[in-house]
Amino acid sequence: MRKLAMLSFANIRKTKGHTVSLLLMFLIAGLLLNAGSLVFVNFGSFFEKVTKELKTTDVYYIMPSHLYNGEVDKYIRNNKNVSNMQKEEVIWAQASIPYNDDTREISFILNDADKERDFSKWKFVGEHLPPDSMSIYVPYLLNIDGGYKLNDKVKMKFDDAALTFTIKGFTEDAFFSSLDTINLGTYLPHETYEKVVQKLGDKYSATLIFADLDKVNNEVETGIRELVQPDQKATLSMVEDTRTLSSSDIELLRTSRTFMSSMASVMAMAFAFIIAIVCLIVVRFRIGNSIEEDMSKIGSLRAIGYTSRQIILSIVMQYMLIALVGSIAGISLSYLTTPILSDIFAHQSGLMWVQGFDGAISSIILSAILFVVIIVSFISSGRIRKLNPIVALRGGITTHNFRKNYLPLHKSIGSLPVVLGFKSMLQSRKHSFMIGVILAAVSFASTFGAVMFYNTVIDTQAFAKTPGIELSNAVAILNSDAEQPKLVDNIKNMKNVRKVQYIDESKVKIENYDVTAYVMEDFSTKETNTVFKGRYPLHSNEVVLAGILADKMDKKIGDRVMIKVGAKQAEYMITGLSQGANMGGMNASIRWDGILKVNPDFKQQSLQIYLNKNSKADEFVNKLESDYGDSIVTSVDMDKIMDDGMGMYISIVSKLGMGMMVITIVVVILVLYFVIISSVIRKKRELGIQKAIGFTTFQLMNQLSLGFLPPIIIGVLFGSAVGITLTNPLMSVAMRAMGIMKAQFVIATSWISLFGVALVVVSYCTSMLITYRIRKISAYALVSE
Amino acid sequence: MSQVMIATDKLSKSFSSGGVQQHVLKNLDLEILSGDFTVIMGSSGAGKSTLMYALSGMDKPTLGSITYFDQEIAKLSNDKLAVFRRLNCGFVFQQMFLLDNMSILDNILAAGLLVSNDRKAITARAKELLAQVGLTELIWSKFPTQLSGGEAQRAAIVRALINQPKVVFADEPTGALNSASGKAVLDVLTDLNSRGQSIIMVTHDLKSARRGNRILYMRDGVIHGICNLGKYVSGDRERHGKLQAFLTEMGW
Repeated sequence: MRKLAMLSFANIRKTKGHTVSLLLMFLIAGLLLNAGSLVFVNFGSFFEKVTKELKTTDVYYIMPSHLYNGEVDKYIRNNKNVSNMQKEEVIWAQASIPYNDDTREISFILNDADKERDFSKWKFVGEHLPPDSMSIYVPYLLNIDGGYKLNDKVKMKFDDAALTFTIKGFTEDAFFSSLDTINLGTYLPHETYEKVVQKLGDKYSATLIFADLDKVNNEVETGIRELVQPDQKATLSMVEDTRTLSSSDIELLRTSRTFMSSMASVMAMAFAFIIAIVCLIVVRFRIGNSIEEDMSKIGSLRAIGYTSRQIILSIVMQYMLIALVGSIAGISLSYLTTPILSDIFAHQSGLMWVQGFDGAISSIILSAILFVVIIVSFISSGRIRKLNPIVALRGGITTHNFRKNYLPLHKSIGSLPVVLGFKSMLQSRKHSFMIGVILAAVSFASTFGAVMFYNTVIDTQAFAKTPGIELSNAVAILNSDAEQPKLVDNIKNMKNVRKVQYIDESKVKIENYDVTAYVMEDFSTKETNTVFKGRYPLHSNEVVLAGILADKMDKKIGDRVMIKVGAKQAEYMITGLSQGANMGGMNASIRWDGILKVNPDFKQQSLQIYLNKNSKADEFVNKLESDYGDSIVTSVDMDKIMDDGMGMYISIVSKLGMGMMVITIVVVILVLYFVIISSVIRKKRELGIQKAIGFTTFQLMNQLSLGFLPPIIIGVLFGSAVGITLTNPLMSVAMRAMGIMKAQFVIATSWISLFGVALVVVSYCTSMLITYRIRKISAYALVSE
Repeated sequence: MSQVMIATDKLSKSFSSGGVQQHVLKNLDLEILSGDFTVIMGSSGAGKSTLMYALSGMDKPTLGSITYFDQEIAKLSNDKLAVFRRLNCGFVFQQMFLLDNMSILDNILAAGLLVSNDRKAITARAKELLAQVGLTELIWSKFPTQLSGGEAQRAAIVRALINQPKVVFADEPTGALNSASGKAVLDVLTDLNSRGQSIIMVTHDLKSARRGNRILYMRDGVIHGICNLGKYVSGDRERHGKLQAFLTEMGW
């Protein structure tokens, strides 16, 4: 064993450059695989741990206190599906707060921090300070994303009042800690809570119910809704509806709070997998080359009594050691990245994920890498068994077996280095193929990264359309008693208004599923097309279902479904399938004359306003409020909502995309270094002869680099083409859980081409730099050695 | 009257091995005339090959100068030396050093196309030279490993001649060949010289040395003696005796 280790170390010492580059590749693979696995396995389970620790219930319901009457209370308590419940009085209000040099409108739940809770508890994250007057504990999100620190003042502006609190601690709970989950929970010491109640009065008093359900579904919610709005439900707009009853279950929450981390970890792992395969191809290549280079040495070892098994084992040990050191370094480094990843994901999840050393995951990753390296090196070095010692001592007789003279010089056109480069490429088809495959794999990954980067940094339209929300610039919720046609006309004639149209939302029941239906008079004027199969409804008896909903119902285009609102119901034909993450994908689209069949009192209220290019939505909304404030319930700056909402996703995905592109370039440089250095060593004699007959170093550098260029170009072209073709289908699969059935990211071929060209240029320049060592090969050494 | 082709002035070459300086060439002053068939002889380690590779620009001297016609080459950069070699020198090595991954014709064209872009003309010249050295069309497309030693060496001679060099350097060209092949190679070189081609050859072999008209005998890094044999004539017994006497005098 000691002898074998000596042989392995001697080989490692002899090929320091190769060892370092291979080590770096294993480091990258180990880092990405471990970091990806930690996030994939532990971030989700961390959320589970938090929910368990805080005894989080299956669902919560919140509604204004005046709606929570004895009948509702009795309904919930006696409901067979409800196994546990806890009721609490809270303050539930929309308020704006300064947020990261900006202002954000957030739905807040202000809880009494001193009230004991049996379920759905909350906890402090990090240090907290003793309370004084007007103290508040806010979600950790406000620290990591909102820019607040302990003892900072936070001013909450309600409709008719403003309160300033001092932040004394940051909190974490399962339901109310992320901007993605509708309501944000804050906790006030009892004294402060009482003061706030006194100041705000009953207007924002609400009842918060936490419940455990035997079967998690929205049956209880539907029951409560029917009790709290028996007569109003037909006329309520969606905005009013969400202020009547808001609810969420833990499953929806889990998806929403861990979606980004899951997607990012899957992307990182897929990328790491590609890098690991590249490492294995390189190991195989290196072993093949080293057998050729060390043929005489192998012969000597055999001659002095080493068995082929011992020589093979020394090679296996050599690569296992490199993989071991590289992977351990990568895995160790990955633990340094988890706090960074935790910070990145916290912007979306609101969770302070603390990842310690995970021996199980890291051991599995390390073992898996070592296992495949051992297998690949064992198989690759197998040909040593067939080597005759005498043949090996003579340097091998079958190392150069040329069968065909590719590109004969007397027939070929082009400059000599180009022709000789191509000739060499055709003679080393295996190597060329390997470079092509590696470049194709990393180009595919980088194309994916480039698409993500383009869609999150350069042109965010497609990314913004992903949730399926209509991309208007502002929304005005009109008073139901306002003189609407005239008001709409007036708004339409305001400065910078390009177009206005109603897009309302209405709660309907489709085949026992509670669904949000988008209602429009004419879907052809919709600017965000979410139908990925079929078409929008053209007639009153047609409906479009979200793909995820149709899957659940096992319905397809052409099938009929019953839609129900209250006691009224009608049959509709499915004309298309739509996508969109909004409402967890549980949505449908129906014409205005269609909804009237089941809800004759339905009134259009939600006016989407589209402004001319470069108009400022915030200025427009202010003008709208000042001109028509009496006739509208509320107005919303959609540009700001989209910017705020998409900001964190854009930040995460763009960083991931950028990371993939950078790692691609690093890997390409490492692989080329590896392959070219091997090639220069292997062709030392050939290069020496060429130098002797008058080739300059630059000509030889060009000749070698040009020989690598065709497989690089073909690999980049192939990888990019596959990336262009598969990015959207792969993203569709990744985002299916959130209701995106057919991703439609912009595939900016010009950008991908540019990156491809950059990759080829970087490769060529790297080749030229690496082959510069040819200057050290002297013609004289050839004859004197 | 022949022109001086190569002249050296205090040419020295030293190697450092394990901290010990080894002076292989010591202050050599030498003139080689154009059109001569110069043979460098000497015992092993005398500095024959070192001298030949220094004269050809394949290696750089440590001190002194080498003038090739009017051009000083000792101080040229490696790339300039490469250009110098391709334009002025042809090489024939003991181990042939043909490129194994190319056909015989390509081996020759790879050198020829370095100097001229006229592919047709170079190809025609290569074929003509191949025919001249007795290599038939059948083997033009073969790889070096598929040829006999004599055939490969003749192909190497063609490669050396393709750019019409002013001088051909031959390092033990028959060292790896059987006597028949060796004779054929020497015949080619002799024929070339008879048509005005300057040749500088290093050899241990008496039969080979006999083909030269000027013999330089080296010992311990200096030219120990020079013997002028005159133009080679086949079957000249007197020439053989003269050479043998010279070598005996030199202590060979």
